[in-house]
Amino acid sequence: MNSPWPLLITLTYVAIAMVIGLRAKAGRSMNSLEEWGVAGRSMGPVTLYLLIAAGSVSAYTFMGAPGWAYSKGVAVFYVAIYLAYLALIAWYFGPKVWQFGEQFGHVTQASAIADRYQSPALGALAALVMAIGSIAYAVLQTIGSAYILFVMSGGLIPIWLGVVLVLACIAVYLYASGQRAIGRTNAFQGVLMLIVAWAVGLWAVHSATGGLSFAGVFERIQTEHSEFLTLPGAGGDMSFSFWTTSIIVSMFSFMPPVWTQWMSASSARTIRRSATWLPTYYVVILPMVVVGFIGIFSLPELARADTVVLEYAMQHLPVVLVGLLGAGTLAASMSSSEPFIHSVSLSLSKDVLQPVLKLSNGVTGKLARLLILPIMFLVVAPLAIAEPGSLVMILLVGLGFASQVLPAFIGMFFWPRASRLGVMAGIVVGFLITVAFTTLWPHPMGIHAGFWGLMLNLPVFVAVSLMTPATGAEVVERFFRIAAPRGFTQRGRRAVV
Amino acid sequence: MRRLLVLPTSRAGWGLLIAFLALVLAGTWPVIGWVNRATLVMGLPLLVVWSYLVIFACVVVMLIGNHIVERDDHE
Repeated sequence: MNSPWPLLITLTYVAIAMVIGLRAKAGRSMNSLEEWGVAGRSMGPVTLYLLIAAGSVSAYTFMGAPGWAYSKGVAVFYVAIYLAYLALIAWYFGPKVWQFGEQFGHVTQASAIADRYQSPALGALAALVMAIGSIAYAVLQTIGSAYILFVMSGGLIPIWLGVVLVLACIAVYLYASGQRAIGRTNAFQGVLMLIVAWAVGLWAVHSATGGLSFAGVFERIQTEHSEFLTLPGAGGDMSFSFWTTSIIVSMFSFMPPVWTQWMSASSARTIRRSATWLPTYYVVILPMVVVGFIGIFSLPELARADTVVLEYAMQHLPVVLVGLLGAGTLAASMSSSEPFIHSVSLSLSKDVLQPVLKLSNGVTGKLARLLILPIMFLVVAPLAIAEPGSLVMILLVGLGFASQVLPAFIGMFFWPRASRLGVMAGIVVGFLITVAFTTLWPHPMGIHAGFWGLMLNLPVFVAVSLMTPATGAEVVERFFRIAAPRGFTQRGRRAVV
Repeated sequence: MRRLLVLPTSRAGWGLLIAFLALVLAGTWPVIGWVNRATLVMGLPLLVVWSYLVIFACVVVMLIGNHIVERDDHE
């Protein structure tokens, strides 16, 4: 493809995103953690809806998910289901997290953990280990962004340059406007992704079948390759147990950027309203996945499954749509990497460096902004350029760990008796099991490694909590006045608060 | 500490909890096994149609939940 239009359209998107991100500051000082970190807790329901939606839809939707459809079939829809369940999680926990933040001044997930268990060490531990998974995720998205620029430029922008360009753009507006930039750019990126996904999907269906109905595609798949329409999928590796445990583990992975998004809302009600409609956004996945199914019969010899949409678009779609696809995919990867880089910087400053170096809030606020630069250019960029083979492994272990922090949240929302040592013991056991069952013996019996980790983590957490001192009653009461505003119960019966 | 666990304190709350659990069950094993057939519904694979039914059912349950929470003025 020799047309300059795809690259021009993609670069125009980047320029628009930069302008939006820079203008998001709107004259405010960004040196406080409240402003740079959680946008002064000011986001309305529409911005929050698009912020969470775009943040959760990564380059995976435009590349990986169609690739899964191409190689495995309908098994890919477990992603759409767990994303909808994450909305249920946001609906229930989001308003409470917002109230914790508003009343106790938390700006990060780890600071809430440190406060609940009165343990800065536990907060720092949570911040550090969550950072591993978060950075791995940001690196994967950056590689995706650079790859899009490489393809759209016909190879003129090499991967290393693409990495530097994308990170430099994000760095400029993230430094300038913090969480407000993420909110505004994600709103733009969310709308763009929805339009691009449906435009590309419908055009691809039309070019493949002559109509606009997805039925033509699936009728052909049913006749020629019906194994793609059921579990365990065409690869035979997506069993019911893996489907189920992947959904459950993903559902309970409270990643730090999501926590930050909840705390950026203007009110508890705003979060509930946004979460209610959030599942509707995931119709964005359907048309892209359909292109993956088209690839099964139109691109049968594809070397890399996750390039199926790009390959099909370049062979069959007009150059303007190819450019829009580049912009949409870049939007998906940028909108997902920004919140992770932001939250790592915020949490390392607030929960690790501030207590260790005994910094003031003012200095910590400035430090959080500056820290994005070494994180991006000394950690994310070299890893993205090197494309280490073990990165996916790092990500799996990191995300597996994220779900192991579940006891900390059980103690925050459901069980007053949870103790600091109980949480620590549960996390350590769960983490070791997850690492072992990801690296040494991957997913025994087709059950997700993180689920195995949880099965040992939770009993250890309960047992050690019961054997060790609980957090002070005053702190527990403070949290549970929000977590259980209508009173505690004993086996479901109302008790006096 | 005397208090054990946070559980719903009203019928509506219990109803909502049961609805949430039912939604999770609808998207996982064993229910997902019952719709695991290579048939098409409205031109889409049954598993895809079921997935989106579960997804939109989540919206409906949360809308009902909003009504309950806001009626009780329970933030």
